[in-house]
Amino acid sequence: MKKIRLIVSSLLCLTGLGVLVTPAQVSQPQFKWFQAGAGLVLPGELTFDNASGRLGILNADGPVNTKGHPFFEPLGVNGRACVTCHQPANAMSLAVGTIRERWQATKGKDPLFAAIDGSDNPSLPQDREASHSLLLNRGLFRVGLSWPPAQNPNPEFTVEVVRDPTGVNRDPVWGLKSAKPTVSVFRRPRPVANLKYVLAPDNGPFNVKLGVLLDKDPVTGKPVSMNMMADARAATLAIQAESAYRDHQEGKAQLREDQLNRIIAFESQVYAAQIFDNGAKSLTGAGGPGGLGPLNLLRETAGVLNTPAKPVFLTFDAWKTSDEFRQSVARGNEIFLNRTFWVKDVAHINSIGLGNPAKRSCAVCHNAVMSGMDRAPGWVDLGTTNYPTWTEPKTWNEAGELPVFKLTCRADVRPHPYLGRVIYSSDPGRALITGKCADIGAITMGQFRGLAARAPYFSNGSAKNMRELVDYYDRRFDMGLTTQEKEDLIHFLEVL
Amino acid sequence: MRNMRGLPLVVLFGAVQVYAQNLSFVTCPIVRDTKTIPCWLAEYKGETYYLGNQGGVAQDFYPPQLNHEVLVEGIVAQGARVCGGIPLRPVKTSVFLEINRACNTILPAEDEIEAPQSPPRPQTGDAVSWVRSDGPGDNTLYFDFDNDFLSIHAATAIQRIAQYFQQSKASEIQVAASRGSSRLSNGSVLIEDPKTVTARAAKVRDILTGLGVSPTAVKVKLNVDVREPDGLNDPWSRKVTLSVK
Repeated sequence: MKKIRLIVSSLLCLTGLGVLVTPAQVSQPQFKWFQAGAGLVLPGELTFDNASGRLGILNADGPVNTKGHPFFEPLGVNGRACVTCHQPANAMSLAVGTIRERWQATKGKDPLFAAIDGSDNPSLPQDREASHSLLLNRGLFRVGLSWPPAQNPNPEFTVEVVRDPTGVNRDPVWGLKSAKPTVSVFRRPRPVANLKYVLAPDNGPFNVKLGVLLDKDPVTGKPVSMNMMADARAATLAIQAESAYRDHQEGKAQLREDQLNRIIAFESQVYAAQIFDNGAKSLTGAGGPGGLGPLNLLRETAGVLNTPAKPVFLTFDAWKTSDEFRQSVARGNEIFLNRTFWVKDVAHINSIGLGNPAKRSCAVCHNAVMSGMDRAPGWVDLGTTNYPTWTEPKTWNEAGELPVFKLTCRADVRPHPYLGRVIYSSDPGRALITGKCADIGAITMGQFRGLAARAPYFSNGSAKNMRELVDYYDRRFDMGLTTQEKEDLIHFLEVL
Repeated sequence: MRNMRGLPLVVLFGAVQVYAQNLSFVTCPIVRDTKTIPCWLAEYKGETYYLGNQGGVAQDFYPPQLNHEVLVEGIVAQGARVCGGIPLRPVKTSVFLEINRACNTILPAEDEIEAPQSPPRPQTGDAVSWVRSDGPGDNTLYFDFDNDFLSIHAATAIQRIAQYFQQSKASEIQVAASRGSSRLSNGSVLIEDPKTVTARAAKVRDILTGLGVSPTAVKVKLNVDVREPDGLNDPWSRKVTLSVK
C-alpha cells in the first residue's frame, strides 16, 4: 500500500495535482450531483465551487470507474446508492443546498427523498414538501433505532416521547409503541473521506475516557477508533456499509464480500478538503500551511495527537505576516489552539479526569492532527441535543422541529454527570446504543475538513452556517469571543 | 497484609499523623483560576485547603467536579500555602455521583496567587499512586469512594497483569474486590454500596478476558463485609487486588 501511495504521490507531483489550487481551474459540473448508477468515470482529482471557494477531492488510487461499482450503484430497492448521500461536491457528505436543488429538479422524486428516512415520517404523504421538512431545512435523515438497544436489553433509563412534531415517534407503525419499538432521531450524513483519520484508534486497547476496552473489529480482533457515526454504533466500515445498505437503501439481502471490499477500498482512498478560498486564495501553494488540501491529508500520518510541535492543522506561521485575510486565518488557528475558556458540564470530557470545569482550548478536545476529531473515542455531550443547552428553542415554540424525549434514569445506576436522572433530549445519541444514562446526548465529534462544502453543521443540522456554529460555542461556554475573534475562527474553519 | 511494599504506605499515612492532622470531609469543591492553570480547593471549618491542579488523565490527581460534592481524605501538610490553601498531601478526592447545583464556586485569578508548576509532594516519601505494584503478578488498584472508574493507570496495570499471566503460563488470576468505608472528621461514617464492589470486579474481569485471558482463569472474590473505618487508612480500603497464581 505504501508503495502504491508513493507512486501516486509521485504522479500527483508530475501531473500538477499537488497544486490542485489555481483559481483558473474549472469545477466539474457533470459531477455536481452524482446520480446513483450514472456509470461515469470519477477522475482522480475533482474540484467543486462553493460559497467560500473551492473544494478538492482526491482519489488517491486514481480515477474510479463507477459503472457497476457498489458505492455508486443502487444496491437496494429504493434507487439510492452510497453516493446519493455522500456526494463528492459536498466533501462526500450532503449540503442542504444540494438537497433543495434536488427537490426542485425532481419535484421530490429523487431517491434521496425515499420515505424510509428521507422524510420526516414514512407514514406522511410523500409528495408534499412539508413531509420532508427536516431533510430540506436541516439536511437531516431519520435514523430509526430499536428500543431497547440490542447491546443492552435492560437499559438504565426509560424513554417517553413528549414532543413529536413529525409524528414518527408516536406512529403506530414506526414509533416507540409499535410492534417494533423504535426511537427515531434525525442526523446529518457524515463525510466519507479522510477516513484514515476517523478510523485510527487511540494508542493501546483502552478507551481512556471510560477505563474500559475499546470495541474490537470482529474480523481482526483489533481495537477500533469508535469515532465513526454520530453514536459510534458501527465498529468498522464493513459494518457501517451493511447497515447503510439495509437501512438507507432498503436492501433485503446481504452485501457480497466483493461488494463490501470495493466499497471499503473506495472509501479508504478518497480525501476531501478546501483547496481555494475566496479570501485566502490558494490554500495549497508552496510555503503555505502544511495541513491544507487533500494531498496533505493523503501525506500525513493518522492517529497523531496535537502537540506544540505538531498542532492539529499544522502551522499557519507563514500566514501570520501575509495579507489581511490570511492573517485572520492564522489568528483563528491560534484561537483554536490556545485561547482558553471554561469547558464545563461536557460529559465524557469534564467527567474523565480533567475536572469540571476545565480551563482549556478547543484543541484539547479536538485534538487529532489533520481531522480535529478526538483521538480517543469522541462521543461527548457537548449539549447540542440535551435541554437546557440544546440548539432548539428554549421555550415552547411551534416552530420546534425535532422530537423531544424524556429520559428517566433508574435510581440504581450512575446518573448523567451534569443533568442527573431526568433528561430532556432531542437526540440521546450514544445512549440509544449503550442504554447508559451517562451517555445521554453524547454525539461523536465530526471531522473539520471540507466544512465549507457541507453546511449545515452539528449532527442535528442546527447551525445553518459557521457563524451559528461559532456562536453556539460562544454561548455554551461563555467564551466572550469578540466579533473579530469570531470572524477569525470562521475564516480558519472555512479553509479546512 | 501480604504486600510488604504496601505496608510503608499505610505506615507512612499513619506516621504523618504524628506531625500533621488527617482530615476527611464532604464539601463542595472550589475551582480557583490563576494566570496559568486552575487549582482545586476545598473549605472545611473556615479553612481553605489545596487539593491539586487541573491536569490531564495521565496524572494521579483527578480533579473534582463542580455540581457535585466531593469526599476529601487527606493529611494536612506543613509549609506554605499553595494557591491560597493549606495543602493536603497525600489527598484522595471522590466525586459524589448525584448532582448538587449549589457546588458552583469559581474564584477569579488574583495577582498574588499562582498555581504550582507541579503539586507539592508529601512530606515524606514519594507521591502517592493509586495503583500499587508488588511484583509483576501482584497489583492493587485503589478507587474513589463508591466509584468503579478505572483511571488509565489502573487500566494499564490490568493490562500488565494480563500480559504477565499469558507469558508466565500461570493457571489463574485472583481478583479480590473489597468494600470500603470512610470515617469523616466529624465522626460520621460513609460505607460503600456493595454493588460498587461487584461492579469493580466485573470491570476488571471484563478487561482481563477482553485481553485474552480465559474466563475460567479469572477467579473473582468479593468482600462486601463492612470494615471499621479509622479516618486514616480509609482510601486504601476501596480496592481490587489482582494476583497471578
